Amino acid sequence: MSDPLAAALAAEEAAIYAYGLIGVRLNGDADTDEARTAERTHRDRRDVLVSLMSRLKRSAAPAPAGYQLPFAVTDRASALRLAVHVEDGVAQAWRACLPLRDGVDRGTALAALTDAAVRATRWRDRAGVTPVTMAFPGRAG
Amino acid sequence: MGKRDNGRTRREAFGVAAALGTAAWTVTTVAGCGLLGDDSEPAPAPDPLQPILDEALGLVTAYDRAMATQPDLRDRLAPLRADHHAHATALAGLIGTDLPSSAPAAPAAAASAGTDAVSGLRRAEKQAHQSAVAACTKAPADRVMLVGSVAACRATHTEALHR
Repeated sequence: MSDPLAAALAAEEAAIYAYGLIGVRLNGDADTDEARTAERTHRDRRDVLVSLMSRLKRSAAPAPAGYQLPFAVTDRASALRLAVHVEDGVAQAWRACLPLRDGVDRGTALAALTDAAVRATRWRDRAGVTPVTMAFPGRAG
Repeated sequence: MGKRDNGRTRREAFGVAAALGTAAWTVTTVAGCGLLGDDSEPAPAPDPLQPILDEALGLVTAYDRAMATQPDLRDRLAPLRADHHAHATALAGLIGTDLPSSAPAAPAAAASAGTDAVSGLRRAEKQAHQSAVAACTKAPADRVMLVGSVAACRATHTEALHR
């Protein structure tokens, strides 16, 4: 996808879809609260992108009804793994928006990148994955 | 036509030579002023990312010190230290400079922690995050993704040190 804003929108849509699946596999108030907050944040960012793109008269592919998951989500462990995966994907998409001169302001893109990176860190911690951080959040590979 | 030398009269040729001589003297004088005058050559402005690189190196020192005084924190702190070192290497590459061979000073926020090394590091990370955010706002398009990742990473460190 060549338009970074459209890619960010697709990543936010994918995250919203994923948190629907993640939520049902989590147990404990802390996990589910975290997932609920995450989903709400991704919905807000999706809404910002939708109105931004309509203002810029940019087209975006409609969100698919379902997604091919990278692995089956069957329990808490795989749900946490998916949460890390989607936050990493969101971070990558927003990082690519940082150099844009028009459309989204840099502060918004950096806040979204940072937010996704911090959330991925929390999910890694909950999943017992180490290290919990990565040197270059949003950089693929 | 015998008066002409390569199409010019002798007087014209002399005039040109005299003018050239004056010009050469002027150039020498100007260069001489530069060499003999009071160090008027302006020092090159430091790269705007140099403070972010210095902070990364300072944080490496701060983590080294914390791990030396509290070896039980090594597992938790070593990956965070490695992130800062990776930042320093990437930033030095971008700036076109070498990493210093001696360890720079740790940030004051980390040093003032007393026995609680983790809360000192957390304060230093928070400050370093704020300066990386400011640098990201001003960075040119070809540098902004690296600086953005450095800023985001410093925020994740604050989070990691909260646990």
